Amino acid sequence: MSYEKRVERLQEIVADLEGDGLPLDRALKLFEEGIEILRLASDELTSAEGRVQLLIESAEGVFETREIDV
Amino acid sequence: MRRSYGSRATRSGVEFDLFGSGSGATPIVAPATPGSSPETAIQVASLTETARAVIEGSFAPLWVRGEVSDFKRHRNGHWYFCLRDASAQVRCVVWSRNQRGIPASPDEGMEVTAFGQLTVYSARGEMHLNVTALDAIGDGLWRKAMEETRLRLDREGLLAPERKRALPSAPTRVGMVTSPDGAALRDVISVIRRRAPHVSLVVSAATVQGPGAPAEIVAAIQRICRFGEIDVLIVGRGGGAREDLWAFNSEAVARAIAESTVPVISGVGHEIDVTIADLIADHRAATPSAAAEAAVPMRSDLLAALRDMSDELCASLAERASRARSDLESGAMALRRAASIDAERRRAAISATAGRLNALSPLATLARGYAVARDPVHKTTLASVADFKPGAPFTLTLRDGDVAARVADKP
Repeated sequence: MSYEKRVERLQEIVADLEGDGLPLDRALKLFEEGIEILRLASDELTSAEGRVQLLIESAEGVFETREIDV
Repeated sequence: MRRSYGSRATRSGVEFDLFGSGSGATPIVAPATPGSSPETAIQVASLTETARAVIEGSFAPLWVRGEVSDFKRHRNGHWYFCLRDASAQVRCVVWSRNQRGIPASPDEGMEVTAFGQLTVYSARGEMHLNVTALDAIGDGLWRKAMEETRLRLDREGLLAPERKRALPSAPTRVGMVTSPDGAALRDVISVIRRRAPHVSLVVSAATVQGPGAPAEIVAAIQRICRFGEIDVLIVGRGGGAREDLWAFNSEAVARAIAESTVPVISGVGHEIDVTIADLIADHRAATPSAAAEAAVPMRSDLLAALRDMSDELCASLAERASRARSDLESGAMALRRAASIDAERRRAAISATAGRLNALSPLATLARGYAVARDPVHKTTLASVADFKPGAPFTLTLRDGDVAARVADKP
C-alpha cells in the first residue's frame, strides 16, 4: 500500500469511528487496523533512506535501476 | 569579405580572373579575351556562371539585416522573400533542408537578420542570398514558433486548467527526466535530501540540448512512464541560452508530458524562462530546485500530520467507548424500570385472581353447613344418586374437615 493510500485509509477509519451505528467490536478492530497503518506509515518516513537511481531499459523492454553517485 | 572583387573594368575591356588563381599584379590580357568583341561574345550561361563564381568567391557567408517582403512558401518547401531597406533589396531563398535550425518562417514586414551566402541563380540571372540562419530582431521568430505551438496545443484543449492533475501529497518515489550530469539533477537531489530524505529519485536520462534533444526527452518520459514505479515526474534542466532551452518548447515533448501516466512538474532554466513544457505540465516550477520543492513535502510536516492522525484515532475510539458505556448504563436503567413495572402488574393481577377464586370457592358454601361427597380415591365430586354404589366408601367434606363414610348396603 502506498503512503498516500495508507493515509486515506486512516482518514476513513477515523471517519467510521466517529460515525454512528458502528458495533463496538467492529470499532475495536478498526482501531487496531489504524494503529498498524500508523506504524507502517511512520516507519516509511523514518527508516527508509532515499536512493538515487538511473533507469535503464534493455532492448527487450526489461527495466533495471542502477545506483548513481552524484 | 574574403577578398576584393575578382574582376575590374580597364580601359581595354574586362579582365577575367575566372578561377581566382591569377595574380592581380600581372594581369594577362589575351588577344582574344572572351567577350572583348562581337566575334568573341560569350554565352549567357558563361556570364552568369562567372558572375556566380566571382560573387561567391568574394563574399564569405555573412549576416544581413533588413525587412522581409514578398514572402512565399513554395510547395516544394523552400521559402522565397526579399530583404529590403529604404533604398535597396536583395532576393533571399531558404532551402527546405536549411529550415531546420530556424524556429519559424518570418512574417511580412518583420525586421530580421539573415545569415547566408550571396550567390547568383544562373537560370534567372538574379543575385540572391542563400540563407541558412534567420532570426527576427528581439527573438521574434522564437516567440512566433512558440506561439504557434502553443496555439496548436491550446486548440486541442491540452493547456486547459481542468486537465492539470493534482500533485501527490506524499510521494515516496520521484522520477526525473534530465541529463544525468547536469546541474539540475544535483539541485533536485540536494533539495530532496534536505526536505524528505526518505524519498527515492529515479532518473530517466536524456540529452537536453542540441538537435537530438526533443526526441531523447520524449523517449525518456515514455520510458519512465512504462517503468511506472514513480508517484510524480520532474522534467527539466538548468539555465542556459535560449537555444539551449529550445527542446522544452518542442511540440513532441509537450505531447509526451501531456500523455504522462503520473503528474508532471516542469523545472526549466531560471525564473524568467517560460517554455511550452511549463505551459503543459501539471505544475510549473521556476527552476529545477523549485520543482523538487513542489514534488516533496517536508518530512517533519508529514510526521506532524501522522501524529495528529494518531491523536484523532485515539480520540475517536475513546469517544466511541464512552458512548458505549453510556448506552449500557441507560440500557440497564431502562431494564430495571421495566422489571419493576412488570412485577407490580403481576402482583395486581394475582390479587384480582385471588378475589375471584375466593368468590367461586366451595369452601364458602361449606361454611354455611353444606357438605360435599367425594370419591376417596379419585377425589371426584359425587353429585348424583347414580354416583353412589351400595357399600362403596366415600368422603364427606365438611366446613372443618373430612369424614370417611360408606353407602348403606341396601337402600
